[in-house]
Amino acid sequence: MKAAKFEYILAESIEQVVQVLDQGDGEAIVIAGGQTLMPMLSMRLARPETVIDINKIAELSGIEVTADEVIIKACTRQAEALASPEIQTRLPLLAKAISYVGHQQTRNRGTVGGSLSHADPASEIPLAALAMDAHVSLRSAAGARRVAMADYFLGPMMTARADNEVLLAVHFPLPQGDVRVGTAFHEVSERRGDFAVVAAAAHIQLDKDGICSNAALAIGGADSVPLRMTALEDRLRGDAITPERIQAVLADVANALTPGNDQHASAAYRRRVATVLAERALTEAAAEAQE
Amino acid sequence: MNMERNLHYVATKRRVREDKRFVTGQGKYVQDVNLPDTKHAAVLPSPYPRARILSIETAAAEALDGVQMVLTGAQLAEDCNPIRLGLKLPEINWYPLAVGMTCYVGEWVAIVVADNAYIAEDALDLIEVDYEPLQPIVDPEQAFDETELLVHPGHGSNVLYHGNFLWGDVDSDFAGADDNLSFRARWGRSSTVPIETFGALARWDEGTEILDIWASIQMPNFVELMASTLGYPLNCIRLHQDVDVGGSYGVKRGIKQSVLVGYLSRKLRVPVRFIEDRLANMAGSDAHGPDRIFDTEVAFNKDGVIKSIKIRALDDAGAYPGRAPFQLAKPISAIVGPYKINSVKYEAISVCTNKSGQVPVRGFGQAPTNYMIEMAVDNVARHLGLDRLEIRRRNLIQPDEFPYQIPPGSKYDSGNYPVVLQKGLDLAGYDELLARRDKARAEGRLAGIGIATVLEPGGGNNIFEYLMDPSAEITTFMEGCEVRVDAQGNITGIMGTTTSGQGHETMMATILGEELQIDPDEIRIVHSDSLNALPTRSPIASRMAIMLGSAAAGAAGKIKDRAMAIAAHNLDRPVAELEYSGGTISDRNDPGHKLTWAEVCFIAYRAYHKLPDGMEPGFQAQYVFQVPGGGQLPDENNRVQVYPCFSFQAHVPYVEIDPGTGRVSVLDYAIAHDCGTVINPDIVRGMVIGGLAHGIGAALYEKFAYDDEGQFLSATFADYLMPSVHEIPDVKDVEHCTPSPLTSHGQKGSGEGGYLGAPAAIASAVNDALHPLGLHISELPMRMHKIEALINDGNT
Repeated sequence: MKAAKFEYILAESIEQVVQVLDQGDGEAIVIAGGQTLMPMLSMRLARPETVIDINKIAELSGIEVTADEVIIKACTRQAEALASPEIQTRLPLLAKAISYVGHQQTRNRGTVGGSLSHADPASEIPLAALAMDAHVSLRSAAGARRVAMADYFLGPMMTARADNEVLLAVHFPLPQGDVRVGTAFHEVSERRGDFAVVAAAAHIQLDKDGICSNAALAIGGADSVPLRMTALEDRLRGDAITPERIQAVLADVANALTPGNDQHASAAYRRRVATVLAERALTEAAAEAQE
Repeated sequence: MNMERNLHYVATKRRVREDKRFVTGQGKYVQDVNLPDTKHAAVLPSPYPRARILSIETAAAEALDGVQMVLTGAQLAEDCNPIRLGLKLPEINWYPLAVGMTCYVGEWVAIVVADNAYIAEDALDLIEVDYEPLQPIVDPEQAFDETELLVHPGHGSNVLYHGNFLWGDVDSDFAGADDNLSFRARWGRSSTVPIETFGALARWDEGTEILDIWASIQMPNFVELMASTLGYPLNCIRLHQDVDVGGSYGVKRGIKQSVLVGYLSRKLRVPVRFIEDRLANMAGSDAHGPDRIFDTEVAFNKDGVIKSIKIRALDDAGAYPGRAPFQLAKPISAIVGPYKINSVKYEAISVCTNKSGQVPVRGFGQAPTNYMIEMAVDNVARHLGLDRLEIRRRNLIQPDEFPYQIPPGSKYDSGNYPVVLQKGLDLAGYDELLARRDKARAEGRLAGIGIATVLEPGGGNNIFEYLMDPSAEITTFMEGCEVRVDAQGNITGIMGTTTSGQGHETMMATILGEELQIDPDEIRIVHSDSLNALPTRSPIASRMAIMLGSAAAGAAGKIKDRAMAIAAHNLDRPVAELEYSGGTISDRNDPGHKLTWAEVCFIAYRAYHKLPDGMEPGFQAQYVFQVPGGGQLPDENNRVQVYPCFSFQAHVPYVEIDPGTGRVSVLDYAIAHDCGTVINPDIVRGMVIGGLAHGIGAALYEKFAYDDEGQFLSATFADYLMPSVHEIPDVKDVEHCTPSPLTSHGQKGSGEGGYLGAPAAIASAVNDALHPLGLHISELPMRMHKIEALINDGNT
């Protein structure tokens, strides 16, 4: 488990990163916290020619809050995000999700952007970002663009980010108007800190009359990408959320998923448990919104 | 018995001397031994479970700058012998590298030596192997029946061992019993997975013609095996036993790794180091544990008294036999557990399959056996509608029945099982625990309490080999200790083996200090190299407190005798009139008439004229302790004392299961433990709790999994799931002391600790939780997806 030879560049600016990527011909890769990439390099599962280290670029780290969104820069540590009062109060679903990511020691190094770039279909931050209608900002030598989460995940460890693009930040929209929000994150894994076998993230918005004005439910670990349960969400909108309503829409979950089989769980397990976790997440989020 | 003695150091809470060096990062492991010009090795794993090796092209790898050598199995086999350990199976040739055929995914096909480990791995990429993949044998039951598809065609079958034992009149006990039941239980392929993988460093010294080796080893016969495999005289190999071993509990048997570096070092005339990386370790180290199917029948009366048991154990040894078959034999030591079962039929089968090989794991087959026995007792209780505690109380051996001889011949030395069980229940707060469980159930949760009452045989004894192979007439299992007193009077205890974190240095110093009445902290303990060592069988089999401890007491006694003889001669008094106190020897009737320890040592080293006639100068003693109860071959009915000492544990865990996900949470755990006299309380507690965590891993998480095609699925810790601190509850523990009559201070074994009972106890708890649903699981590990399927899909 010793990495194959690669060139290491400690980048000083975003400009330098995109230039290296642009000349890398797909053989250059960005390293941030290294919690996934380092083992992949050691096992020679990744064999880039160039590794560009973005840890020293100050403008890629930090959290900004504007009137309508929270921006988390790519190299912000998961631990910093988790500890941030802004995240805890404004993005409670993200805070709940990050508490399931690895352990304190890995969160001290691991970054929000790294998790989104790696895009493991069972990881927590992508799932929460998807449920919250976040989008990422990407930058290449040719320019910048934004990609919504709904268009971002293409398959296991595959995203819409091109080889010559670096992820700059993830943008979380803030709820607008007089609404009450409830969130919940549920996952099951054999051990605390593992990737989820199945996870569910719910984000419920009620208007002042208690009517569901927006509902998001995302399921991770049960398909090749994290998935929004759009049919279910449509059925929840426009009505009060009651246990009966939740029961009535739950069947949509299993129908929406095409899970895989592996030694840790069967497809049938993932399908059944996705439904269980969806119920728990919706129930808890609705209760929180109704508080 | 020693218990009446006034103990100063034994059984006293004192700091563990090894802690300082481990906690402050001063441990010295194989990786820390630096020799000039050392080269580094890396191995090429087979991607196929079974394939013919048609050719291996190494030229490109050898041409890489910095590569010293590429070695294949075919080249190695020309110069060395197959590794022979265990049963005599002449047609199964196990070499450190695959020869002609690969027998499992991850088996090492070639090894590269290079200037550093990075270059060595670069070179692996350049080796081209032409394989002809063949159909693998994966399922052990199929392997047993198979006549065509053979892992080792020359052997003629996949069966490594098949034996039938009968102790007592099983047929008539079954016929006379009121009822009987049968069940199948399956122990999964887990192991001990230490934080330090196996590592070895070898240096051939052409000047002295000695092969020096530093290895992360815990194994008897290691040097003998290296010598016989390499074809060297035994005294040509010097194992340096003063390296720390970063965890083992049985698995650090890196004979093939050590043979490789030894061979390469001599070939290249440079030191060669090989430290397994995690991938090489998990897949290719032949370090998996037992993988066992039990088919058990129990005969019992309506009152719950168990009369007889029939056990068929089919164990999957993996591709090469190693010590695997014997892990079916050691449990004969305690095949009926702590229960009065009148007769036993035992059919033991070891088969090979295309999987990584098996090593000894903590308890040497006892943990799976205990799991099966406890399941038998719980199943009888459930069948009869009896409480699981009540059935144990009716079957446990009673304190006035010791020494108690079980049907296969072993006599249990001592114990008080009902009292220890009661201590465990009191510690658990059993009545409140029942109330908690029932409240949880009333609230719609699945909750269960586990009960396991199990034995830990300790002390070792190779005689179980004879039960499987009558040419193995091995009736000793000794351990030696040397004590040296220098001219200044300082005491040094010398052990002849490595240690892998069990605290042997503290144990030995405590006993020497106790016997010589000197503060153990002032006693130095060192590890001799193998050329200097007294006979040893290494720290296996929960034996060091029993064996090294008793040997240390014996050697200290000789030191004291010598001091007394010197004093008697110089004080002109008979020994009987002298008193030894903290090293000073005085006349009982005239305490001022005395010889100090310094004076005794001076006389021993400098004043020959003051030594008794005929006494050699110097001050040292050796003592080799023979295993108690050893020395006998089995009688005509295959009855023999196997291990000498029997520790006992009562486990009471509490679990809850999430019915929606199948996830088991171990919320509470109480254990009462009796290993006789505790020499150091912190060490024993560490063993108990660490073993318990290990057992929770085997019960719920850990499995070296292969798919139906023989592909290996658990090569990293993302897939081989070991419990972390989050999965282990705060354990409540209590000690009880029933001294052994066979050891220096009444001590018994404790190293296998909670591991021998936790899997049984967690299984008991999970099944108690599933009981209201009419469900039962009898397969380890009890992974959440299996439990969920049982609950929600009616199958596993």
